[in-house]
Amino acid sequence: MRILQSFRNILSERHDIARSWKNQNKPVIGWNSTYTPEEIIHAMDALPVRILGSTKPTMLADAYLPRNACSFARSTFDLALRSSYAYLDGFVTSNSCDNFNKTYDLWRHCTKIPYFHFINTPHTNTQKAHDFFHQEITRFKESLEETFKTTITNKKIQHSIQLCNENRDLLKKIYDLRKRDTPLINGTETLEIVLSSMLTSKSEHNTLLKQLLKEIETRIDPPKPGVRLLITGSMMGTPDLLNIIESVGGIAVADDLCTGTRYFWTLVQTDKNPIKAISKRYLNKIPSPSRYNWEERVSHIKNMIKQFNVEAVINFLLKFCDTHMFDAPLLTEELKNQGIHVLNVEWEHTRSGIAPIKNRIEAFIETIKGVP
Amino acid sequence: MTRLQTLQGFYQNHVQPYYQKAHKNREENKPIAWVASTFPIEILQAMDITPIWPENYASVCAARQVSVQLAEVAERHGYSRDLCSYARTVIGSVLTEKTQDLPEGGMPKPNFLVASTAACDTHLKWFQILSHHLKRPLFLLDVPYNTTGADAENLEPQLIRQYVSQLEELAAFLEKQTNNPLDRNKLRKSITLSDRTSKLWLEIQDCRKNIPAPMGARDAFSAIFFMLSTPAAQDAVDFYEKLLDEVKGRARNGVGKIENERYRLIWDNLPMWFNLKFFNYLNNLGAIVVAETFSHVWTGSLDSSKPFESLARKYLPNFANCSIERRIDLILNLTKDFRANLIILPTNWGCRMMSIGEIIVKEAVYKKTEVPSLILDVDSSDSRNYDEYQVKTKLETYLKTLD
Ligand code: SF4
Ligand code: SF4
Repeated sequence: MRILQSFRNILSERHDIARSWKNQNKPVIGWNSTYTPEEIIHAMDALPVRILGSTKPTMLADAYLPRNACSFARSTFDLALRSSYAYLDGFVTSNSCDNFNKTYDLWRHCTKIPYFHFINTPHTNTQKAHDFFHQEITRFKESLEETFKTTITNKKIQHSIQLCNENRDLLKKIYDLRKRDTPLINGTETLEIVLSSMLTSKSEHNTLLKQLLKEIETRIDPPKPGVRLLITGSMMGTPDLLNIIESVGGIAVADDLCTGTRYFWTLVQTDKNPIKAISKRYLNKIPSPSRYNWEERVSHIKNMIKQFNVEAVINFLLKFCDTHMFDAPLLTEELKNQGIHVLNVEWEHTRSGIAPIKNRIEAFIETIKGVP
Repeated sequence: MTRLQTLQGFYQNHVQPYYQKAHKNREENKPIAWVASTFPIEILQAMDITPIWPENYASVCAARQVSVQLAEVAERHGYSRDLCSYARTVIGSVLTEKTQDLPEGGMPKPNFLVASTAACDTHLKWFQILSHHLKRPLFLLDVPYNTTGADAENLEPQLIRQYVSQLEELAAFLEKQTNNPLDRNKLRKSITLSDRTSKLWLEIQDCRKNIPAPMGARDAFSAIFFMLSTPAAQDAVDFYEKLLDEVKGRARNGVGKIENERYRLIWDNLPMWFNLKFFNYLNNLGAIVVAETFSHVWTGSLDSSKPFESLARKYLPNFANCSIERRIDLILNLTKDFRANLIILPTNWGCRMMSIGEIIVKEAVYKKTEVPSLILDVDSSDSRNYDEYQVKTKLETYLKTLD
């Protein structure tokens, strides 16, 4: 399908898209944690772009990072050192994990990005945490206003909430296409779509999504059906792994990934105070394992399994991604108790880390097929 | 190269009794809490809750050379070998069936657990897992990140407010768990004691500025036990008074820990607990550790008229919870004040917090002081992640360049 290529193009042309935005004198702000409220950045007519890393070797970052740092954080920092992100007007993070928090120090010290901001995100979602986070988002807004000499009105924020929510709704509709017995779209394609939504303007992305939804019902080349899998685990900034899965008899029909449902599943609720609505949404969204409310993560996964008729789960753990690795044993136990097979796979974000796991994935899919 | 008198038999005289007493308290149904470091332990002590500190237990297991065995139990349950070795050791000790073989009979089971997010992701996850297996509640202090790296005086007010308001919640949690109200007088007393402990400890550290230095890292890493496990206790004060006397006396009389002091080292973060002899080896090379960052990050003035606020000011600036500038500043100050000529930055295989960013520390400190740093790949308690030959070769080659 031609339209699917448009999403793929966004991925390959991400830097050109950002630069063309800049050519119109609009700022481009990089972000890396799903606790960063894109709505606020968007509301000052800036382009928020997710820093997604690559599968290339990371020679430059290796000179700065110890061997025991996660390869995703390493890869993003490597791109920064290679000046791939030299166009950024700012870089925003939040306390998401130790790897990110501590590489953020390196970003500040080793790159020339003019604006940095750290959003202090609680690990809990108690009332106190919500009050604090609300203040933090307000501070973030004020810091943007001051740095970029602009005013971010409530009206503008409301407008971007609407756009982002529309995007979330449309993405959910794309996900629905995989609820069917023969999914109309596979996991690789879906991941490309979600990734691309973080790299271009939401309005443009919404237009593409609507067109896709219109065309897809008559798709003449639907994906091969296969063992229905839910994918969870660490950061997945490229579709390579899903590609492997879907080339050996599996199909990814659902996920618990920060480049998937953890990113977009939860909508912003309407509230008279839009900043409050945003801060609520982010603290209450499907939690990453770095948060305290681990039961919510488990119940989200179980929910997805049911809704998408999932047969088995693959948990892709990036080496040195502590929070995911700590969660893995209990999560596996929890799912196995429900009769769900789980494969835990350690990998590295570079290509050399991806190739060797193909056999294991294939063998796992074969066993599931063999299960009556 | 004698150990300090006060520290002779430290383990038997102080650490062992701490575990024995805790076991006894368990039998007598007195409340016990497992507590993670960077947690305001002073409040527990004010409520007569026995704090048990799993990180200390991990170091005990490492020193007894059983941590690998315990870590392997955790690994068999699916915990990756790349995770913090403290966490693996302790999870292993909880999941092990052979509790009778555990050092000090294992840690007495807690009534509840308390942890904070100030140091690392590991604490949150690790204590959650312990809470799950022990079926005991966990109180998590959700500590905001000190993004500016401000010190106690310059902290952003919203961070203090957020911290203090959670201490109120903590107090309520503890009251509920123990059926015992937090007595504000006792709290003040606890704060005063901890403040005194901290000041004494810093005075002891100050003596090490002397050339030759009267105390090395091996002694410091033992003696810091009270600072971390029970800072708000008269025992701690008494012990540090005695230690201060001795260290001061040595400094006054020019008695060094080693005779021919050639290199003065700063040691960042943790030692290899399974190989504390490493410091003797350093001494034999004419090198002495004059300061550890570890000996400085747990100190802090406390004001008994503002107990909660001063606890916030003590714990929020811990460098684990700060942007890297704070760690750089601390190491810079130690380098200057203690007249060091080499900084050792040990990485810790399972610890991102300590490992990432060391290179910026190294560059920043060199730029300001011309004192070099050496990064060594080690692990705090998993000897499998430590290559002694490589570490020693690197170190000896480096020391030669300093001559
Ligand atoms: S993959 Fe894991 S450790 Fe790495 S940046 Fe993401 S959450 Fe952090
Ligand atoms: S060693 Fe590092 S990871 Fe482990 S508990 Fe300490 S700070 Fe956390």
